[in-house]
Amino acid sequence: MSALQTRVMTASQSTAAPPTRPHDAAAFKRDDICWTVMDIPNNPGPPVFEATGSSTDLNSQLALLLELVAAGDQQAFAELYRLTSRRVFGMARRVLIDPDLSEDATQEVYLQVWQGAAKFDRAAGTPLAWLMTIAHRRAIDRVRAVQAATDREAKYGAASQDPDRDLVTEEADTNLEAEAVSRCLGTLTDTQRESVRLAYYGGLTYREVAEHLGAAVPTIKSRIRDGLLRLKTCLGVG
Amino acid sequence: MFANDIATDLAEGRVLELAELYALDAVSDDERAMIDHYIKDAPERPEFLERVRETRETLAVSFAPEEEPPAGLFDDILERITKDAAAQPVAEPVAPSVESPAVDDLAAARMRREERTRVGGARRWIVGAAAAAVIALGGIGVGAYVSAQNDPVNQVLQAQDVQKKSAPVPGGGTATISASSAKDSFVVLMDGVSPAPEGKVYQLWTLPKDGSAPVPQGTMDAETLSKPAIVKGLSSASSVAITVEPTGGSSAPTTDPVLVVGLSA
Repeated sequence: MSALQTRVMTASQSTAAPPTRPHDAAAFKRDDICWTVMDIPNNPGPPVFEATGSSTDLNSQLALLLELVAAGDQQAFAELYRLTSRRVFGMARRVLIDPDLSEDATQEVYLQVWQGAAKFDRAAGTPLAWLMTIAHRRAIDRVRAVQAATDREAKYGAASQDPDRDLVTEEADTNLEAEAVSRCLGTLTDTQRESVRLAYYGGLTYREVAEHLGAAVPTIKSRIRDGLLRLKTCLGVG
Repeated sequence: MFANDIATDLAEGRVLELAELYALDAVSDDERAMIDHYIKDAPERPEFLERVRETRETLAVSFAPEEEPPAGLFDDILERITKDAAAQPVAEPVAPSVESPAVDDLAAARMRREERTRVGGARRWIVGAAAAAVIALGGIGVGAYVSAQNDPVNQVLQAQDVQKKSAPVPGGGTATISASSAKDSFVVLMDGVSPAPEGKVYQLWTLPKDGSAPVPQGTMDAETLSKPAIVKGLSSASSVAITVEPTGGSSAPTTDPVLVVGLSA
């Protein structure tokens, strides 16, 4: 008998080599996914709103905090989380719907912030845009991975539902900035808004948006581009 | 007018018109890579990046649903950061690969939450692999031998009481564990083992003898995979396990172990 013996789990082969995943395990987990997608209501319920001030103020604060976080300051990190977690978690929930997945995605976002704060480049954008880009990317990477294994219609449904509750305007309508956003969103055509929303919150590619809407692919590309350009111009983002 | 596919748009000189789709993440991963490649040395690069930046600023203020995250989430994040700092340095964070199997993601999410709320989760986690046999670390040599080198890895490898065993790793290669009771440490060396799939790393765990949750002992990415990893606390560990985890590692195992080695004194 050797001094040390090992046992290799046969079932775990799939872990090291994903293509050989056992069928039974996959089937079980797929059931799990359907349950998740179908039983969790899309509407997360009325959120508690809190005025967050203008994004300009917020961005100055966040820029300072990010510098401290880059130096390993945990208090600054806690403050940054306090100021932004409602947005990051809100984004995750809007895209992923499932609260548990959203929690995981949020955790990943802040780990990435903690580890990558030093790489934040003010010249490349505001802290908020940087953060929300990470948050969105994390969420849609997950939603696309989930969708690869489940019924795509389930997500289309999720993306299509409840078209306006997610706009910032409805959540803080006393805010001047929010009023501007509301007004500017109103300058988009319905079809432009619809295409942007399906892509952004549904995690759909332009091609999937086209399939879903039964529209031509070039048309959808134009709608998304034109919608975002119009919004940008109206808001005076430069 | 756009074409049906991104390749044609690029070939026909419309890269700038793709900036909004790109910023919105409304392209597939392949298409994103294609655009990244194209723009890398293109003269339109500054203008493209500027349009992407403006779009992201626009999105950040226009589409901003807010929801209060669960209480305790920040503590979980801090805990993970602290653990990561205590273990080996983690690899550069990368966006999770879209190719990573979705079922794993969901299963991982569930598993993590279960682990978070369950005390003594280790026992159940290990159940399928529990028949892992045992390394008998008898005849504890008193640590009279002092390594010629101060390197802790060498101190273990050259300890008089060192016990070694190699085990095959699924997918090819071997893991060799060298344990020294005198040093209360063991060294794990992977040889000929392919790196974990993209977006994943191998993570080492010790299972405490008291049955509490597995303790993360650092991750091994493609770069560190061939280097020896030293783990302290041999005397309090009943087994060592290796799992595949998302890049950056996990605070609790999210997959079944690839390999479990029992240790006993």
